[in-house]
Amino acid sequence: MIPRASFEQVALPHMAAAFNLARHILGQRADAEDAVQDAYVRAYRAYHQLESQDIKPWLLTIVRNVCYRRLQQRRRANNVISLDEAINPGVAAGEFELHSGLRSPEEAAIGASEQTLVSAAIADLPPAFREVIVLREIEELSYREIADIIGAPVGTVMSRLARARSQLKERLTRLLDRDESDAM
Amino acid sequence: MLIGAYRDEELTAQERRTLEAHLATCPACRERLADEDRVGRAIREQARYASSVGLEGRVIGALEREKAEMPLEASALSGASAGQVRSALRPSWAGLAATAVLAAALSSAGTWWAVSSSGHVKALEREIASAHIRSLLQESPIQVASSDQHTVRPWFAGRADVAPMVRDLDVSGFALLGGRLDFVDDRRVGVVVYTRRKHVINVFAWASPGALDSAPSRSMRNGYNLLGWTRGGVAYWAISDLNADELGELAGLL
Repeated sequence: MIPRASFEQVALPHMAAAFNLARHILGQRADAEDAVQDAYVRAYRAYHQLESQDIKPWLLTIVRNVCYRRLQQRRRANNVISLDEAINPGVAAGEFELHSGLRSPEEAAIGASEQTLVSAAIADLPPAFREVIVLREIEELSYREIADIIGAPVGTVMSRLARARSQLKERLTRLLDRDESDAM
Repeated sequence: MLIGAYRDEELTAQERRTLEAHLATCPACRERLADEDRVGRAIREQARYASSVGLEGRVIGALEREKAEMPLEASALSGASAGQVRSALRPSWAGLAATAVLAAALSSAGTWWAVSSSGHVKALEREIASAHIRSLLQESPIQVASSDQHTVRPWFAGRADVAPMVRDLDVSGFALLGGRLDFVDDRRVGVVVYTRRKHVINVFAWASPGALDSAPSRSMRNGYNLLGWTRGGVAYWAISDLNADELGELAGLL
């Protein structure tokens, strides 16, 4: 058997990419970090299945799957039934504020400062567009690799990228123009 | 779409030549290309989220725990030789392996926990703390939201083996947030959630038939205060980052 590098040696260098993808999909730092940790443990368990292919797209596939599972769980958890509200609309509003207040002040501060205009514009895209933009523009993966990660044909990757880009261009050109004229 | 693929170097040589010839004569497409370049650059430079410094350590820690839990399965599954598995692990391998062997021995003993009831209590405290922390990590610690005890208690009926005592303690400074189900000690349990000054308090309750009434006993785990007591054949556990005295006050009110 060919000696292979340890999982840590090959996987840890891609943690920045893993976090970036998770953060873009989930929209929250703490959640994204949990997803990365979860994904790395799963990847470690499945590492023996990885054959000769490049580890980065494989790892990002796992990260993406973990993130989507989390999004699903979040949707289910948000299905909080408010009996108060059902009986007495408006009464429960104060409680919902309390729920969102569970986010710590640090987290809120980080959230406010780390989002740039560009990342905000990406966050406005539908999730299916967001991930192809991140994988292509930031991680510079090939269409083939992206297609494998999202489980769609290369043609779909191309068309989603094109639509994502035209939406982003629309939102960003004005902002970028303004930035550039400010800089002058 | 072709311009994008051109930028991404995903066109065939033939397609690329055709597009370049077109670009040479079409100012509109050249402008589109320049726009896409600009947007692409902005994304690369400004939309990358950096992970926090602690993340790598956290992940390495999680991997170590994973290895400690199943070093044997890991080597069997991957087909790697023992030497490889060992070399993949850090120097703490020997200690971790010892823990794993011990853990395996304990779990194979099956009912071992029954030998020591204090061991069971400790395990229970750990479970309660984990459930509490998990509830805080989620968007909301509750499934049914209500400040009215008459809507929360019935919600548990048929969902948990005991409908926990739900009280309106507003006047005492404990706000009722709602309830949820959790899984502790191998059973479905009802949890009533209160808050005081933004501290979330989880009160777990389950049937413990035949158990004698016991006064609240304090303990601490993961930085949270715990309080466990039994009354009328129901086991209660309260947990919070609230100080132990105020938590005791709540236990007294329930």
